[in-house]
Amino acid sequence: MEFDELKKIWDSQTHEPLWVINENALHKRIQAKKSQAHHITTISELLLIFVNMGMGGIVLGLTISKGSDNLFMYLMGGWMLATALYVLASRIRRLQGENTFDRSLLGELNHALSMATYQVSLSRLMRWNIVPIGVLSLLGIGEGGKSVWLLVGLLVFFVLIYVASGWEHRFYKGKKRELEALQKKLQAEGSLKAGQNDTKSR
Amino acid sequence: MSEKEQNHTFTSWLGQYKALLFKVVRAYAVNAMDQDDLFQEILIHVWHSIPTFRKQSSITTWIYRIALNTAIKWVNKERRHPETKEPLDPLHSILQEPGIQVDERLTWLYEEIYKLDEIDRSLCLLLLDGFSYKEMAGILGISESNVGVKINRIKKQLITKSKKQTDYGI
Repeated sequence: MEFDELKKIWDSQTHEPLWVINENALHKRIQAKKSQAHHITTISELLLIFVNMGMGGIVLGLTISKGSDNLFMYLMGGWMLATALYVLASRIRRLQGENTFDRSLLGELNHALSMATYQVSLSRLMRWNIVPIGVLSLLGIGEGGKSVWLLVGLLVFFVLIYVASGWEHRFYKGKKRELEALQKKLQAEGSLKAGQNDTKSR
Repeated sequence: MSEKEQNHTFTSWLGQYKALLFKVVRAYAVNAMDQDDLFQEILIHVWHSIPTFRKQSSITTWIYRIALNTAIKWVNKERRHPETKEPLDPLHSILQEPGIQVDERLTWLYEEIYKLDEIDRSLCLLLLDGFSYKEMAGILGISESNVGVKINRIKKQLITKSKKQTDYGI
């Protein structure tokens, strides 16, 4: 075959789309992603609430019971309790907003995307939250006259947590990106249907 | 540009240029799972590219550029991390064949395109879709003379192989 013949074969068949979008498969994929987003968000919210509440309570309780005058430990305990309350309030607000999404395919996808967006901003906020907690811990322990090695160890620990939370944040961003991709596919499906209806009406 | 305008442009582009995207996906990914994955990746990149489209080139050229660059990057990424996915049941694949009889010569042509390296695959698609050497050079960021050399080689390769295929009765 000469190249012109190959081009003719190409031209005769490639102007029409090679595939159609499988709506059922798309629906199932969206539902699976939605329940995954729901699961991840719930677990991370509860974890943040309980860990911050528990640690903040312990720090404050111990500092008060010892009658310590270490201001930084009071501040750190208070900060952790405030963080737990903030996450709790965000969770309540998120759950209240869940009823605003309709039961359509697009509604479910928007719901999943909104959860993923919330998760991304929560993980970003919690990553930055490591900074004040770390600084207050170091100052509090420094004020207590502990060894320099303990301070260095603690500093390394907080740096590691900060790095790890960066990975976690990127993981959530990846999940959000997957949902955005599905949203684009859903739009692709919509535009295909519109194209088919136009053809039928002509 | 507002998100609403961006979505509107995206939907309109998809309606008109979906066949083009499918061609790129078909040329760069063989199995259903990879085709789904690459299609998703291209859609995302096309969507993000909309605010930066300055109408200095045609929409076709712009979309081809985005789709081919995404596909080339995707192939390289897949080569580095080939083991990260589980097999997908064809029934659960989002992209499905419409059940229309496809010319087996076209299937053969896609198979031959797939055997080329990433850049040559792009050139072959652009050549078959009637782009000039200058446009191909602009889309792929290589010199026109380089495009010419590569195109000659691709044409020769395809013609030789097609002759062999014709001898076998296809």
